[in-house]
Amino acid sequence: MVRVALLVDSITKRFGSVVALDGVSFTVEPGQIFGLLGANGAGKTTSMRIVLDILRADSGRITWQGAENTTLPRRTWGYLPEERGLYPRMRVGEQLRFFAALYGVPDTQSSEEIGDWLERFRITDYLDRKVEELSKGNQQKIQFISAILHDPEVLIMDEPFTGLDPVNVRLLKEAFLAMRDRGKTLIFSTHQMETVEELCESIAIVDRGRVVVSGAVRDVKRAMGRQVVRLATEGGTHGVDWLRSTPGVELTAERADYVELHIPTNQDPETILRIALDRGDRVTRFEIAEPSLEQIFVEHVGRRAVEESEEHLASLPREVSA
Amino acid sequence: MSRLFPNALHVARREYLSRVRGRAFVITTVLLALVVGAVTMVPTIVAALGVADPPQFAVYTEAEDLVADPVLTIQGALAAAADPSADPAAPPADDDPSGDRPRVTRADDPDAAARAVRDGDLDALLTITRDAEGELAFEFLGSASPTNGTRLLITQAATALTIGDRLVRTGIGAQEAAALFQPPTFVTTPVDPDDSRDEADFGGAFILAYALVILMFMAILTYGNWVAQSVAEEKSGRVMELLVTAATPRQLLTGKVLGAGAAGLTQYLAIIGASIIGFVANGPAAEALGVDGNSPLTLPDLGLAVLPAFAAFFLLGFTLYCTLYAAAGSMVSRIEDVQQAAGPLIFLSMAGYFASFAALNDPDANWVGVLSHVPFFSPYLMPARMLLTSVGGVEVVVALTTLLITLIAAMWLASRIYSAGVLMYGQRAGLRAIWRATRVAR
Repeated sequence: MVRVALLVDSITKRFGSVVALDGVSFTVEPGQIFGLLGANGAGKTTSMRIVLDILRADSGRITWQGAENTTLPRRTWGYLPEERGLYPRMRVGEQLRFFAALYGVPDTQSSEEIGDWLERFRITDYLDRKVEELSKGNQQKIQFISAILHDPEVLIMDEPFTGLDPVNVRLLKEAFLAMRDRGKTLIFSTHQMETVEELCESIAIVDRGRVVVSGAVRDVKRAMGRQVVRLATEGGTHGVDWLRSTPGVELTAERADYVELHIPTNQDPETILRIALDRGDRVTRFEIAEPSLEQIFVEHVGRRAVEESEEHLASLPREVSA
Repeated sequence: MSRLFPNALHVARREYLSRVRGRAFVITTVLLALVVGAVTMVPTIVAALGVADPPQFAVYTEAEDLVADPVLTIQGALAAAADPSADPAAPPADDDPSGDRPRVTRADDPDAAARAVRDGDLDALLTITRDAEGELAFEFLGSASPTNGTRLLITQAATALTIGDRLVRTGIGAQEAAALFQPPTFVTTPVDPDDSRDEADFGGAFILAYALVILMFMAILTYGNWVAQSVAEEKSGRVMELLVTAATPRQLLTGKVLGAGAAGLTQYLAIIGASIIGFVANGPAAEALGVDGNSPLTLPDLGLAVLPAFAAFFLLGFTLYCTLYAAAGSMVSRIEDVQQAAGPLIFLSMAGYFASFAALNDPDANWVGVLSHVPFFSPYLMPARMLLTSVGGVEVVVALTTLLITLIAAMWLASRIYSAGVLMYGQRAGLRAIWRATRVAR
């Protein structure tokens, strides 16, 4: 069977006089992990809700496997909303079976799956505990399980990593990869760029209701038209002032032990090395890299949006605002 | 459009179980059942405590030439008040020590009798004398309270004695005088020839009509509020977003109303069950205690077709209000705002409640007839009318059909409001904003 992508085609949504989405389009290939990036209020959550058909777009259409999303059964989708919500006084097992039942999964089947997932997340003891007795991280795991018990084809997650400690982040990433290996399509939004670099094959960056860039991560990076060079010499960062006067070079970060610079793709990075050697510097590090997603994000969305989201989450790497 | 079931049932089941397992539910239900059960046993309890000991009177008369026996006359007046169905001419209650009939005796020694009243052995002493002009004079020794019911009854008996005495003194024979006091023949023929209810039936019907109106009102206020609270809780707890992804608003709304409604009815059944047990146990319990604990309430003889109609009015009316309460709950973001959003509904149900009290006093009024067909009021007024006057079967069917149509329309409207409301956070839930949102919702 040929699997057709999730096509989000120029969707527009207004809330009163506020334009939340202004012609958002992107494509998610089946079996991929897809990252939706954007500052707060950029339109990620609204986009997700419209894909899930809990909100209706003013215009535009969404298809999955060639079918309009409004005609697809609800169990096509699994959803992990940004605002976590479970019934606080309901027991974990009972609660998970309830949500599975709403998607038509019989209790016997869901009970088995619940056992497997609790084991994977190392929280088997919590089956008969009330949700309110669980820590935030564990509640989030329960919420994740509730999103996948009905074996959805597409899993949509809004900020799934927020508020998790590193161990739980690792567990959740492993769960993502396990889902992908089962052939599922995963879409998630996040502010954590390393996670995106680690997991996502494709991304879309949303800013103020528009998609500013989207596609395979590799292509997005290439399209930026720049390469990153990290250079360290024995003189430390004091001896690199010459770089500022080198044509085409843009100094992007000065660290205690190295400097980072961008050069256009059509310039050979080795020219930088050659100049350094010609100057008689002892080069201790010379590294050519692709620009990070973070840099791409900043480039497209601007520092403003990054700072805003950082205030909110304090989860972005420090370099961006350095 | 997705099918309503089984998802509505899953939602209803969850709602019902989480409700009835709650400690608050169990405690309230048990307490209410105990209180209501106890209230139905009140006649026996009162009798067992001796509060209802029959009053004891003495009559001392100096006017030996009275045509009517004053003891019998007073006895008759008091007995008639205590039990209207009793024959006022029945023999004195001396031979009925366990009964609640007042006992009237003739005193031979006025001073001893007066002492007995002061000591509390007697409730009152009536002294009858004849003044210089031959008129009867009465002196009542007992409680001076003007609301003392016994004294009022004795005043009436005294009036009867005096008039009889005056008639005899003007020359009318004792027999003719007695005949003058015979009550007239007065027969009421109901317009509806099938209506075979008598006076006693209507007494019970009146109480039952009150009970139905109050039950309806309490159900709407209490359990309707449960529905709204529960929706607002899901919204403020953010579980709503998961729910609307998994199920349609129509499924959620229906399940919510069914579940919370069933929990409310469970509580009602427990209370009604307790009252039936109390009602049935009242007689045997009184017998076992050796006291007279007859309940003053007799249930009217209701036709079998009437009960399903009452049930239909109750369930449809209750569901109608609960559905709108759910919509009200979906409009607010915080549980504290539920009362405000439900305000119009509370007002509407109060209006029905007070209208039905006015209607109970004048069930044949035109406005009662009209209002008993208006959907939000018919659950209150139509059962009351059915109990208190004759209502044609067609009228009942029309009112029920109108109610059902209104319910369907309300469910449609409520699920629109619901699907728009559940994802609106932080906004003041103006009706205008909601209306605008319903037009773009699914």
